[in-house]
Amino acid sequence: MSTYVYGITAAAHPSLPEGMGGVGDPPCPVRVITEGELSAVVSEAPEGLRPKRRDLLAHQNVLAEAGGGGCVLPMRFGSVAPDDQTVAGVLAERADHYLERLRTLDGRVEYNVKASHIEDAVLHRVMSENADLRALAESNRQSGGGSYESRLQLGEMVAAAVQAREAEDAVEVERALEPKAAAVSVGPESTGWLANLSFLVDRAEAEKFIAEVDRLRNSHPHLDVRINGPLPPYSFVEPGPSEPAGTIAGGAEGGQE
Amino acid sequence: MTVVPAQQTGGGGSSGLYDVLELVLDRGLVIDAFVRVSLVGIEILKIDVRVVVASVDTYLRFAEACNRLDLESGPNKSPGLPEIVGEVTESGARGKSKGALSGAAQTISDAFQQARDEHSGETESRPRARKSTASRRKEEQE
Repeated sequence: MSTYVYGITAAAHPSLPEGMGGVGDPPCPVRVITEGELSAVVSEAPEGLRPKRRDLLAHQNVLAEAGGGGCVLPMRFGSVAPDDQTVAGVLAERADHYLERLRTLDGRVEYNVKASHIEDAVLHRVMSENADLRALAESNRQSGGGSYESRLQLGEMVAAAVQAREAEDAVEVERALEPKAAAVSVGPESTGWLANLSFLVDRAEAEKFIAEVDRLRNSHPHLDVRINGPLPPYSFVEPGPSEPAGTIAGGAEGGQE
Repeated sequence: MTVVPAQQTGGGGSSGLYDVLELVLDRGLVIDAFVRVSLVGIEILKIDVRVVVASVDTYLRFAEACNRLDLESGPNKSPGLPEIVGEVTESGARGKSKGALSGAAQTISDAFQQARDEHSGETESRPRARKSTASRRKEEQE
């Protein structure tokens, strides 16, 4: 029977959710494998596991529960080891790395921020900023909506202006929130948002971070800003090129106010 | 001063799941000795297209939306945004308390209505429609 792995934590973690329902239907109970100073939060891996809503939620819920009591390095969804011995072997083999990550991420959580434009509001904004657009829109209106070509022309100009605005707003969102976070990780681009950023935030600073998000909302009313968190530090488990290592070190030394 | 409550969704909520899906599926630790379940056929990843896509449909939709917005300057060029903001601040008008932009939008809208009324070529109903659009937008932002 193979082993589903949710996350890795310190063996000293005070409250791992043993017995909680994990992935599978019926849910497989959560177990803990300990090797040296590290523990893995696991369960049996159900046959034919697929990324269904129920199982994604179970993965996330087990990590949220475990993360509430102490730092956990979350696994990507769907990580399955052949058996418990393999899990223990990985814990032993990469112990130094995981312990370093756990120390760095201790007391910190991830907040994911996604921003998109509120269409009417951003159209207002680009129109008020651009006299050419207003003139073209007015001439279209005066000719009863304009010809197909002139509507297309207006639409294309507006689309370009909105796209430019997207790029500017993405920078502004990051710039506004970065100072309140220990690290930033830029998430994958998608058609669903203009900015997708994950911030590593000290639990003690979380309120300030959220207040900053509120300020951003108020100062940019044409943006729909969505914040999700606190989350397990999905985006910060591996030091990567998108992660400013210097800022992490600075935060760890208690450089924050 | 309006306080917008932080839309915090815990890890568990399904709306939260929707927004953090790419984190659960694409971030987090990966260990070579483990296998990953196949993500083929995942349907939950469908995302609303809200960002500008360069297409004829988008252009026409924007053109239509701009007609609806009524932000055109008319014969008298509307002042640039900074001037508008200054004007709102000077007059100490309602715009002041709700952020420069919505205030500015309101001001532009009012200015158009005045201009329209002066030209008197418009029916009564259209300025009123504009007004209600502006106040609805104002409410959304409060």
